[in-house]
Amino acid sequence: MLDVEGLRSGYSEVAVLQDVSITVGAGQFVSIVGPNGAGKTTLFKTLSGILTPMAGSIRFDGEDLLTVRPAERAHRGIAHVPEGRQVFASLTVLENLEMGAFTRMGRAAWQVNIQRIFAWFPVLRQRADQLAGTLSGGEQQMLAIGRGLASQPKLLMLDEPSMGLAPAMADFVFEKLMEIRKDTGLTILLVEQRVAEALQFADHAYVLETGRVVLDGTRETLQADDRIRQAYLGM
Amino acid sequence: MAFLRSLLPYFTFAAGYLVVAMLVENSYYQLIITLVLVWASFGLSWNMLSGYTGLISFGHASFFGLGAFATVLAQIHLGWSPWIMLPVSALIGALAGVLIGLPTFRLRGHYFALSMLAYPLAMSYVFQWLGKPEITIPRVLDHPALFLQFEDRRVYSVLALLLLTVIVVITRWIERTRFGMSLVAIKQNEAAAEAAGVDTLRWKLKAIAVSGAIAGAVGSFYAVVILVITPSSVFGMLVSAQALTVAMFGGVGTVWGPIIGATVLIPIAETLHAVIGSYLPGIQGVIYGLAIIILIIAAPEGVFWKGVDLIRRRRVPAAGTVPSGAGGVSRAASVEPAGGASPASRISDRIMLDVRGVSKRFGGLRAVRNVSFQVRKGEILGIIGPNGAGKTTLFNLLNGFQKPDQGQVLLHGSDLAGCRPHFACRAGIGRTFQVMRPFKRWSVANNVKVGAYVRAASEEEARAIAREAVAQVGLSAISDRPASALTTKQLRLLELARAIAGRPEILLLDETLAGLGSEEAKEVVAVIRTLAATGLTILIIEHTMQAMVQLVDRFIVLDHGQLLTEGLPEAIVKDPRVIEAYLGAKWAAHA
Amino acid sequence: MTGTQIIIESILQALAAGVLVGAIYGLMCVGLAMIFGIMRVINFAQGDFMMLGMYAAYFAFTALGLQTVFGAVPGPYVAVAIAGPLLFAFGYAVHKFLIRQVTGMRTIAMEAEGHYAQLVLTLGIALVLQNGAMILFGAQLVSLRTPLTGQAWMLGPMWGDAVAVFLNQAKVVAAIVSVVIIAGLWLCIKRTRLGKSLRAAADNPEASVYVGIDVDHAHRIAFALGSAITAVAGGLLATNHPFHPFVGLDYVIVMYAGVVLGGIGSVIGAFWGGMTIGLVQQLSILVLPTQLQNATIFVFFLLIVIWRPQGFFGRVTERT
Repeated sequence: MLDVEGLRSGYSEVAVLQDVSITVGAGQFVSIVGPNGAGKTTLFKTLSGILTPMAGSIRFDGEDLLTVRPAERAHRGIAHVPEGRQVFASLTVLENLEMGAFTRMGRAAWQVNIQRIFAWFPVLRQRADQLAGTLSGGEQQMLAIGRGLASQPKLLMLDEPSMGLAPAMADFVFEKLMEIRKDTGLTILLVEQRVAEALQFADHAYVLETGRVVLDGTRETLQADDRIRQAYLGM
Repeated sequence: MAFLRSLLPYFTFAAGYLVVAMLVENSYYQLIITLVLVWASFGLSWNMLSGYTGLISFGHASFFGLGAFATVLAQIHLGWSPWIMLPVSALIGALAGVLIGLPTFRLRGHYFALSMLAYPLAMSYVFQWLGKPEITIPRVLDHPALFLQFEDRRVYSVLALLLLTVIVVITRWIERTRFGMSLVAIKQNEAAAEAAGVDTLRWKLKAIAVSGAIAGAVGSFYAVVILVITPSSVFGMLVSAQALTVAMFGGVGTVWGPIIGATVLIPIAETLHAVIGSYLPGIQGVIYGLAIIILIIAAPEGVFWKGVDLIRRRRVPAAGTVPSGAGGVSRAASVEPAGGASPASRISDRIMLDVRGVSKRFGGLRAVRNVSFQVRKGEILGIIGPNGAGKTTLFNLLNGFQKPDQGQVLLHGSDLAGCRPHFACRAGIGRTFQVMRPFKRWSVANNVKVGAYVRAASEEEARAIAREAVAQVGLSAISDRPASALTTKQLRLLELARAIAGRPEILLLDETLAGLGSEEAKEVVAVIRTLAATGLTILIIEHTMQAMVQLVDRFIVLDHGQLLTEGLPEAIVKDPRVIEAYLGAKWAAHA
Repeated sequence: MTGTQIIIESILQALAAGVLVGAIYGLMCVGLAMIFGIMRVINFAQGDFMMLGMYAAYFAFTALGLQTVFGAVPGPYVAVAIAGPLLFAFGYAVHKFLIRQVTGMRTIAMEAEGHYAQLVLTLGIALVLQNGAMILFGAQLVSLRTPLTGQAWMLGPMWGDAVAVFLNQAKVVAAIVSVVIIAGLWLCIKRTRLGKSLRAAADNPEASVYVGIDVDHAHRIAFALGSAITAVAGGLLATNHPFHPFVGLDYVIVMYAGVVLGGIGSVIGAFWGGMTIGLVQQLSILVLPTQLQNATIFVFFLLIVIWRPQGFFGRVTERT
């Protein structure tokens, strides 16, 4: 479904990513792990079109994504749940979800989706008329995921959903993700610093270190590999 | 001597201009020749503030208009000669600059620009209300020269050229000293400038005072040349816009900008005004407006810099053949063995920095909670923790960017909590930043020199300190290269050099290895080690753990704003709490 | 009539005039707030867009023969209604060909360095519009008078038949139209999908892209809408204030003062900000010479930005 090849990208002239290649098959759960500063967020921003790559190609559903304008990519079925959540703080919870359904498919399936989102995250129904900026960190993360789901995506990209959350809340969010995946069979690309959680559910995973893919494989092979620990802790 | 030589191109231009001016008989064309110089001078006044500090002023007509009105009114009511009023107007302009600057420098970006626009418009209404819709300089029949009145219009051009020359010399002199360098540092990154020991408010006030003084004198001279002034002809928006336009069109932040801008735009605007102005009355304004629009879209930095870049780009292929990275750093790398003095001999028992219970909250978020630790002289302390753990906030509390809600930051026993960053820098705390913003057109040496002023009494000394700092990080071989031509690694080293040029006792390094490959990171680590070997105490935030465990003597670990643990590298990487914070709870269980 | 009654009457008269002119100022400010609040772009030319709106209404009224078709009383208001869409198209084009070059997606990855280019660009546009208008329309004062301009309703007499307040009919109509437009706009922003997407684009441009909102397009709509609203406000103002090509300069400060006072990004706040400016201006005439009323506004503006740049009305969302 998503096919990234030889991607080189970054800010102004500084290349953060070097020759990154990643494949996500339909229905797969793929994780990208790596310490802070490895270039995970840069990769996502490049996929969404906020950053323009210096080299390489990105294909989504067989189409060259680099020819698709950034805002149009959401309409093609890519939902990006960004790092730090980035909910629309001055809009209500319900309005945030409506904006998630800004895409053509999302609008068509709005009635069904909103009920499902509320079923997964009942707290969002309770807070529907509250301003998103007043939610707690965990609730904002749920809202950000709900906003992504409301677009009726083919691919859900999650950038560090556990960031800044208390461990219990992070666990809850991951459990919900698994529940959503089980219910929908959605294709998911996850970027995560917390390796254990990220690997636990993944069909396939990549280890990113200082802008390069240093390791990839299935959960089992990666969990057995001590190189991950080294990537994080240096020894 | 070098200073005078740098003025040679200007004097050549001035001589040429003088010859042309002498040859023109027609009084109308002579007026244009004078006005080009007047507006170039006024553009230089704008450039002094906005070009160097980056604070865009839309209200330079304030100073210009005050000078003009003061001069005319003084002659009418007090009988004072414009010869006296020229310096007096400069004083008035400087005073107005300080008075306007004091409240307005609290504002940034849009707000600064808008407020500056309001001052001259308000003044214009006040002068109208005072019953001065139009005033004329009275003609003096006895000794007109004593009142700056001359039959031969060429005299005005000569005087204007003298005025411009004085202003150019002042500007060039400022440009080359710590005054100008501090202003540019402010433009580049005000926070970093403060952290490098620059008292930003003081320099900005000086800049607006000089700028206002120039504008006041130019306004005074303009009134003498033009004879009749109205509030809108000296306080109007077109006046402010003209200063901005000639400077921006020619090039921001250089003496040549306003001169080029005025030489090109003024004759066009004036000629068109003369030829078709009678039936197209606003043609001047349209031309300035169009010039601005085209400029912003096509060459936002102005004609001069566009030209410089074009020339440089043509030269680049030749320069590019010099191997870019290798030459610079090999030296530092070779120093490595010597620098790897054993920690025990490097670290003394003296406590350098004692952080006691600092806390900081932003609204509901408790970014740093009751953090305490001590650093001994010569130690390299690593600060690690997941994203959002509060590491950068902690640095900000240490160097004065933010004031802790509670707690103390004791350097040699005296509390620095809440003092301004330039003060912390003077007290001995240096720092680098995650985002690098060197001044791209400057050489490595000059970039570093900005950091040296805080310890240098003279330009000479600053240069010497900078040279030494550049050598310490191993960039001597490329110290003349512009920062725009450096690699990421070299830029990181440049930042290091700038920080150590302030001769800090403690150096705070914020993600100095970010964006580097592992080989490059090793080279930078080697340089940091040699710095530590000289007795410098170093605190470093970094994500790349490989490099960190090799580099630091001790770690402190932050998580959710709290001090999770501290200890030696070997212990830290095995600590279950650290593994949990980094790799997740489940990983910790299975490991 | 006693001295007290004279004072009371002039205060009431100034208050009434302040509320009426304040409503129009409020509409102007709302136009600017659309642009400033959603795009974070300072449009120095906003006053000149208003001036164009005045001339558009004026020429629609005189040249298109609206007077004969609609009559002398409704005619000018029909002309004002035409000026709105015209300036919408103008704003749309200015954004598409000029403003977009230095704002929106092009600067999304930049870090706050982008704004100086747009400041200077709109200054250039302002110069071209002011002076271009002088070339095309001449410098003489013109006005869009209706028979209502010379008529007034009287409130009172009250307080023993001694105090009466006169309300200029043209101003009353203009104030009512302003309030109605603002209410409609407020509903549109609050309730419609377009309105919500504009707010989302203002709140977080990056996240807007992720949900499929074309930020540049949202900005273009906001810019055009803001231009149209300010132009309508200008047209309404023109029914009782004569104008000239440089009229925009006086009002651009009024608008920014109102927007800053109201708290950036808040449409309703901008309205109350404009209302406050109207009242300050009219009340200042009681104690200060009339020529200084604009200077008063400028000083008032400076005091606001320097002492309370976050504004007084509306909710301030914390931004990092």
